[in-house]
Amino acid sequence: MIRMYVEIAKKVFQNNIVYRLDYFAGLINALIVILVNISIWKAIYEEEEVLGGIQFRYVITYLILGVLLQTIFMMDEYLIEGKVNSGLVSMDLLKPMNFKAYILSHNIGVLMFRLIMQFTPALIVSMFAFGLLPPFSLLYMFYFIVSVVLGYLVLYNLNFIIWMTSFWFYKTFSLVTIKDAAVTILSGALIPIWFLPEKLVNFIELTPFGSIYYIPISIYLGQVPPNDIILSLIKQAFWIVTLFLLGHILWKSAAKKLVVQGG
Amino acid sequence: MAFIKSENLVKEYKINVKKKGLLGAINSLLIPEYKIKKAVDNISFSIEKGEMVGFIGPNGAGKSTTVKMLTGILVPSSGEISIGGLSPYKNRKAVASKIGVVFGQRTQLWWDLPVIDTFDLLKFIYKIPDKEYKKNLDMFSELLEIHKFMNQPVRQLSLGQRMRADIAASMLHNPEMVFFDEPTIGLDVVAKERIREFIKYINAEKGTTMLFTTHDMQDIEKTCNRMIIIDNGTIIYDGSIHEIKHRFGNYRIVEVEFQKEYKNLSFAGVKLINSDGNRKKFKVDQTLMQVTNLINELTQKYEVQDITIQEPEIEQIIRDIYQGGICLDKNVC
Amino acid sequence: MKLLNNTFDTIRLFARFTKLNLKITLEYKLDRTLTFFAIFCRESVNVLVIYFILKKFISIKGWEMNEMLFLYSFLFLSYSLFVAFFTGIREFDSVIYSGEFDRLLIRPVGLLTQIICARMDHCAFLGHGAVGLILFIKTSTSVGIQWTPTNILYYIVTLVGAAIIQASLFMLSSCFNFWAIRTTNLRNMIFFNSRRFAGYPISFYPALIQNLLIYVTPFAFVSYFPAQYFLRKPELSLFWDGFLYMTPIVGVAMFALVYMLWKNGLKHYSSSGTSMY
Repeated sequence: MIRMYVEIAKKVFQNNIVYRLDYFAGLINALIVILVNISIWKAIYEEEEVLGGIQFRYVITYLILGVLLQTIFMMDEYLIEGKVNSGLVSMDLLKPMNFKAYILSHNIGVLMFRLIMQFTPALIVSMFAFGLLPPFSLLYMFYFIVSVVLGYLVLYNLNFIIWMTSFWFYKTFSLVTIKDAAVTILSGALIPIWFLPEKLVNFIELTPFGSIYYIPISIYLGQVPPNDIILSLIKQAFWIVTLFLLGHILWKSAAKKLVVQGG
Repeated sequence: MAFIKSENLVKEYKINVKKKGLLGAINSLLIPEYKIKKAVDNISFSIEKGEMVGFIGPNGAGKSTTVKMLTGILVPSSGEISIGGLSPYKNRKAVASKIGVVFGQRTQLWWDLPVIDTFDLLKFIYKIPDKEYKKNLDMFSELLEIHKFMNQPVRQLSLGQRMRADIAASMLHNPEMVFFDEPTIGLDVVAKERIREFIKYINAEKGTTMLFTTHDMQDIEKTCNRMIIIDNGTIIYDGSIHEIKHRFGNYRIVEVEFQKEYKNLSFAGVKLINSDGNRKKFKVDQTLMQVTNLINELTQKYEVQDITIQEPEIEQIIRDIYQGGICLDKNVC
Repeated sequence: MKLLNNTFDTIRLFARFTKLNLKITLEYKLDRTLTFFAIFCRESVNVLVIYFILKKFISIKGWEMNEMLFLYSFLFLSYSLFVAFFTGIREFDSVIYSGEFDRLLIRPVGLLTQIICARMDHCAFLGHGAVGLILFIKTSTSVGIQWTPTNILYYIVTLVGAAIIQASLFMLSSCFNFWAIRTTNLRNMIFFNSRRFAGYPISFYPALIQNLLIYVTPFAFVSYFPAQYFLRKPELSLFWDGFLYMTPIVGVAMFALVYMLWKNGLKHYSSSGTSMY
């Protein structure tokens, strides 16, 4: 059973080879974003090493990781919309597979490709050219990887809710774009959360946004005390479950709508 | 005076020869190798004002290339074209206002807007005087019944309605010459018939010169009196449809159902083309054998249940020409 | 007189097309409103980043919040202006590959006129325009600018020049479509990354990037130099003074060069077409 989904991921991986130029463009984009951000923060710190209690090297590492994670957290946002609009979704439901597992394995295929084509080269360049710090410790490295996987799943389940709306709206471009804007600002992907106004941070604490980029990066930097790490991971897991359930409810009613209206 | 004149028209394309494999790809990137392909090879013809001409040929024969040169989209490699005395690529705008083009597979109507909006825009683009515009609009509305869907967005129209609107759109500015590229593709018989009627009427009424490229021989048979057949970039036939039928359609298909199965049936000038038990299909060359004689012979010598006689269809003749079954050039054969 | 008449005709044609495009947008009111809002949000993200950073650090290399946002407003307003007239050039690859271009060739109107008239992306026009306008209103009176007639004239001419610079970059990429070479991805990469750099004063960057933004993809003339004309930050001594007035000149010169290439491409297109048959 699992084999089938692995095969789907593999297939998607192979199909993506065709778009390798686009991936190359994505890699260049990522490196330029890193360069722009470093230039700005260099300008902010001027010659200072520490500003507001935060070391320059930490900020740089934070920003680089934010961009690197963004490259692999990019998903196929219009896969479901395309299937709904073309009516292929009804065909998929007839196949002997779980639709949701299918969508996930598709995105994992994309993820793997980005990991190799964008993340790894950008990581290497960042280590040598931009002064990316190594992880706090080997143990923290392990927690970081776990937390990244959880962060991916938080974003995936959040995205899934947006994708589900395509059963009700013809186009999801605006919702996807608004979601992207919210994630970029509130998740700390472009600017470290600790520089945001306190009120906003308090708000973010109540939302799933902080669980996407901020928690993994903080663990990498060793800013989460050992006792709090498990708590952070549980917080991520909590959001995965909550968003998953919400998405599941939407999926159920979408499937019902599909049966009633016949696509 | 001829409205269109094409003299020794040639169009050559440079094709990049792709080599196989990665090394080949790099090689052809660095040292590109070209092959010259003549899409149109020395075509000359002229079309008189008011003529309706069918322009046919198998896929890739050079039809579209020729039409693109005539309309000024492509520049010929050599040779001369004149449309109403002007060169289409040197005087693009002047020729553009004299011609109309209908692409059956590509609409020029605004997809999300009512038909009338596109018409109004075209009035503006072609600077059609109010009176003329109104006159044409009324006329087309009535003949093509466009008024029934004039205010509906184009995306809601049926293919037939859309095509009628498209044809009207191409003729609002009273073009002296209209090119039709597959004007009835995908339409049902009734819709096709209606469009052909309209085209014939406009031709009679306004004396508009028309050129059709189509795969539907009915379009040509019912509207045109002249046909140009092009293959491999050269004209292989230019003459009337009547003549082509007369010259190459001088045979009949006779289908006979016998009471029992006969073997080794053979008659002079008659070819057995299909045999299925008691049913036999013969092709009768009328220069060698009259059909009446064959029937006499059959009914006298054999026990016959039923006989049907078919005239060759123009489609069949054209197919034979394309496939080399009929040779048009007597000097070569 | 004839030239005047032609110009008048072109304007009327543009108005006609604009009316129809507007009608389509209104047909899909809800969808387009949402799209506009989405673009507004997307474009606001980078502004918010600047906002939060400066809220925390007050100034970067002597640039304060309002000055920085004033600089950014040039990017949005000029892009909005560009989209209003050059959406057809931005989407030129689809104009070519859909066969729409052949249709334009058989109409008795200039090609560039038709392409400029034919399409209009209202959502991007309003989305970028709204962000730009908000920034402009917030900053134009608080960064110490005297809105004298000269300054107003400079502002308008420069904004038009900045839009033409961007149009030229897009048109350069569209030239390749005549040779059936797709450059959309490459173009987007070069354009939007240059634009990303131009959101901040170029003095923040290493010399190499500064030079790229002045001489290669001249986005420095879209935001930095126009903003510096008004703000006169002391770092201006790093650059030649004349750059402050160059935006319209760079725009017109680039456009003239690209237009020549475009003419050449058109010639190639009419001798080869996009496909053989």
